[in-house]
Amino acid sequence: MRRDEKATLVERRALSPDASLLCFRSSFLASALRPGQFTMVRLPEAEGLLLRRPYSFCDAEPDREQFSLLVKEVGRGTRALARLPEGAEVDCLGPLGSTFTMPAPEHRPVIVAGGVGIAPFLAFSRALRAAERDATVLLGGRTAHDLYLREEFEALGMDVRCATEDGSFGEKGRVSVLIDDALAGPVQLYSCGPTPMLVKVAELARERGVAHQVSLERRMGCGMGCCLGCVVYTSEYVRCCSEGPVFDADSIQWDRDRHPL
Amino acid sequence: MTKPDLSVTIAGIHFRTPLIAASGTFGYGTEYLDVVDYSAIGGIVVKGLYLEPREGCAPPRIWETPSGMLNAIGLQEVGIEKFVTEKMPRLCELDTSVLVNICGSSLEEYAELARILDDVDGVSGIEMNISCPNVHEGGILFGCDPNMAARVTEAVKKKTSLPVIPKLSPNVTDITAVAREVEAAGADALSVMNTIPAMAIDVETRRPRLKNIIGGLSGPAIRPIAVRLVYQTANAVQIPVIGIGGIASHEDALEFLLAGASAVQIGTMGFVDPSVWRKTLDGLEDYCRRHAVAAISELTGAVET
Repeated sequence: MRRDEKATLVERRALSPDASLLCFRSSFLASALRPGQFTMVRLPEAEGLLLRRPYSFCDAEPDREQFSLLVKEVGRGTRALARLPEGAEVDCLGPLGSTFTMPAPEHRPVIVAGGVGIAPFLAFSRALRAAERDATVLLGGRTAHDLYLREEFEALGMDVRCATEDGSFGEKGRVSVLIDDALAGPVQLYSCGPTPMLVKVAELARERGVAHQVSLERRMGCGMGCCLGCVVYTSEYVRCCSEGPVFDADSIQWDRDRHPL
Repeated sequence: MTKPDLSVTIAGIHFRTPLIAASGTFGYGTEYLDVVDYSAIGGIVVKGLYLEPREGCAPPRIWETPSGMLNAIGLQEVGIEKFVTEKMPRLCELDTSVLVNICGSSLEEYAELARILDDVDGVSGIEMNISCPNVHEGGILFGCDPNMAARVTEAVKKKTSLPVIPKLSPNVTDITAVAREVEAAGADALSVMNTIPAMAIDVETRRPRLKNIIGGLSGPAIRPIAVRLVYQTANAVQIPVIGIGGIASHEDALEFLLAGASAVQIGTMGFVDPSVWRKTLDGLEDYCRRHAVAAISELTGAVET
């Protein structure tokens, strides 16, 4: 069941100079969403902006009737949303798309996230914690600013390891420098982030024979499976909004899918 | 005052409301079942079909422009066989008129699709896509030449007893020339208009925003152009015109009706607002009451110039 819900912005928390965590109240979405799913957000009235924007649900607190979205300002749409005043209402259509699946009991979950790619994993980590599962969370970013929500994952008791390209926090380098160590023993990989990172993680996972679920970000027109604008290539073009956004990484033909966002 | 009659009849097809879902924006009809009030929808035009399935264009396929959306999907579709066996039975369960949009890379392909659909239960009519900007054979090529458009119409009419509705391209010097030719060839109504061929470029990378380079522009940005084309077309032909182009509210729908449309199609705004159908229909009913209009069909062409 999907609905177009009015969600009220109850809190805006700056995470970095250009990223915020927006916390909304909607009892339906907060309890209906599953980790990995997303919502199509109608932007506040802003001149000339038309289409809704897809955002992965970042966190879910059904008891407080709240969910959150991680918004990084990269253009006019994201800016309009990120600067919404507290108390504002926005239309959020969802929950949409596929979900992460829990790892098999013998597999340790390893989450790999680049920048805002961390967004879908807070709700998922809560679900893992509720199932008394530990996870390793590998966070990567250009600088320390881009390692969003590190404390939240640590507070959940997850084993968080960081890498920054400029060496300002954690290991120096891309997040892939952390993977080798994290892949010891039977693991299940989960990843989200820039496409080159995902391709690299998918290659490593394939070499090691590690199962790997990936959450993909695409421009979307409708989010409902109708416009066919968000396709991803598997053995044919499939819809990121409906068959995804969470895919089995092995099903994706990355060489046919390296398009810029 | 009694409830205004919002139903319309076009080429013998009854539409319980004058709001029709535009081809390519409403999938195969059932994708929106849990979020859209289908009782506000008079008809559905399904995604364009060829004889065989098509893969469509490589991504990126969409880009937002001011009040508009640029797309080059390239008619990714399931092919007529799968449509008839898998999609059509589910469409039949909806209490709404179904128009099937057909495409072809040859005259023969259009004709064969029409022949097949003639026997399919639940199909109310055929919309002929002779205006897609994003396929490299057929599509818009058939729609830009009045003689070619007429030949396709004639070939399709010969193979079916269903009403045939060519969907015209705005990308022509004189839309009335195309409209008159397809009317003479037997078209039962016209859909005006398809998207406008358009382009956007990422100046940082110097690459086109769409992999296909050129796409079709839709949304409120194109509405005044569509209203003008409906006005011109409706004044040039006797057959009914269905207006399409960026309709987002009942005021927009009314502009098209007053310009000469008998019904309208909604496309891009259905992506943005699933409640656009109900809001638009309620707005039309309210307008009819305020203006003492007994039947919405009275408004067709009622612009005072």
